[in-house]
Amino acid sequence: MSGAIEIIATFAAEEQCVGGIEALRAARAENFRVFSPIPSEHIEKAIGRGRSPVRAFVLTGGILGVLTGLAITIGTSWEWNLVAGGKPIISWPPFIIICFELMILFGGIAAVASFLLNAQVPALESAPGYSARFCGDRFGVAVRCDETEAQKVESILGVAGAEEVRREQAQPSATLPNGHDG
Amino acid sequence: MTANPSPARPAAPRLSRAARGVAPLFGNTHRAVLAAAVAAGIAAFAVALARGEAARAWQAYLVNLLFFLGIAQGGVVVAAAFYLTQARWAGTAAFRLAEAFSGFLPLGFVLFWGLYFGRTLIFPWVLHPVAQKAAWLNTPFLFARDGAGLLAMTLLSAWLVRVSRSSQARAWAAASSDIEMPPPAIRRLATVLALAFAAVYSLIAFDLVMSLAPAWHSTLFGAYFFAAAFLSAVAAMALTAVILRGRLGPANAFAAPKVLHDLGKLVFAFSVFWIYLLFAQYIVIWYGDIPVETFFIVQRVYYAPWAPLSYAAVILIWVAPFLVLLGARPKRTPVILGAVAAGVLAGIWLERYVLVVPSLSQHAVPFGWIELLITLGFLGGFVLCAIPGLNLAASAARAELAAETH
Repeated sequence: MSGAIEIIATFAAEEQCVGGIEALRAARAENFRVFSPIPSEHIEKAIGRGRSPVRAFVLTGGILGVLTGLAITIGTSWEWNLVAGGKPIISWPPFIIICFELMILFGGIAAVASFLLNAQVPALESAPGYSARFCGDRFGVAVRCDETEAQKVESILGVAGAEEVRREQAQPSATLPNGHDG
Repeated sequence: MTANPSPARPAAPRLSRAARGVAPLFGNTHRAVLAAAVAAGIAAFAVALARGEAARAWQAYLVNLLFFLGIAQGGVVVAAAFYLTQARWAGTAAFRLAEAFSGFLPLGFVLFWGLYFGRTLIFPWVLHPVAQKAAWLNTPFLFARDGAGLLAMTLLSAWLVRVSRSSQARAWAAASSDIEMPPPAIRRLATVLALAFAAVYSLIAFDLVMSLAPAWHSTLFGAYFFAAAFLSAVAAMALTAVILRGRLGPANAFAAPKVLHDLGKLVFAFSVFWIYLLFAQYIVIWYGDIPVETFFIVQRVYYAPWAPLSYAAVILIWVAPFLVLLGARPKRTPVILGAVAAGVLAGIWLERYVLVVPSLSQHAVPFGWIELLITLGFLGGFVLCAIPGLNLAASAARAELAAETH
């Protein structure tokens, strides 16, 4: 996208930020990134992102945990045939506990790992358009667009109640996925 | 009884019309049908006594007393838990629904004393005293302590329900926008009631279930028993909400999918809690493998005729709710939630049956018209006592929605 610029709008209130996002999406300016000092379900809803992919990782982790638990308990019992209290070598009741705990462990680790992976945390470089105020008391929306659209985007953000709208030259390598940072 | 939830909104004409202008949901026709069910139950009990089937009659009596008393008392404790957790997700309607079954508590207390007349057929230690436990397991002490406990629970519950239906409590429950705590009197009473429930229903579990096999004991059994009673109340609430939703038409609080969703979550959560407590007892007994502990489990889990019934109870109370209610959509679908809740109730009845009857009838499953009609009689009596509370819940559910749309 040669000649692209970034327009960074600063909002004082969550509702105005949400209004700005909705107006941008209505005008089909979808190439933007949102910065929020707080987790906000309203902003997430406005961005229109689907359900988090973390849940699929957690389910996979949980199932892997159960399978690992079964493999460990059944495998070791087969390998070392210790008869205890006249019970069968493969005795299910205590295996349930191991499987359950490994399900929680693997599911939990998968949740944390996939969260870090999907959220691209830790971010070693600041995202384009980021300002320290977006971790303080302000909301930010950084829109990437062509010169021809810049005025329209600025007007949309201004009407939505942005207290400041500024232009920057876009970094050639930087991409702006539709996201939500804070 | 006005269903105006807030004295701060006295001038809401739509609200008061909705509360005043609609006839009670359950009227004399329903009462007549339920009274006939009670009569059938009493007749079956009398015929069984006359025909020499007294043991079966008393077993069915005990199973049903434990089951319906559990729902009635569990419901009041659910209301207390709602106050303690400031649960106002369904406004006053959820509180009225939880309290609706409390009308059975006085009758349940009276029916408890009926056990005195069947004590020789119910409690094995009456005719064959256990020397080491005679100081605890003797008729006067058992009826004195359990009677006192149930009397205390009945009075505490009546008190809580009365305070909960006061205008102050209703105003608090209806106003979900502020963060005020419930009225102090209710907070204190709810705490006492919840603790007393744990103590008294543990005692009931030890005395009226565990003592039927006097050699057996499990420390966790009391908690397991009252947690199942709590679950049965939650399931009864979900089922009742689904029924009321259908009967009240579109304009009622129970028609809101989020309310059914929350009730579904409660059924799911306490179903998981139930299996946790069951397994926590099972695993300890399984590991220890001491005959004095295992005989109670072995008879019910490993051998016919009781094993299939035990598995059926586990499927109805845990497997089915866990698998079916895992997603959000089934919880919000009335037919599915209602069917699962009915299954949980049937499962808990079966569980009570499997806890009680094998101790007294080891090799045969006594189930026929005696058990069916006595159960029908108890069900009739239970619903009959709950009708005033159900009518209140229905008018609160109507008023809630009227207030919301006003």
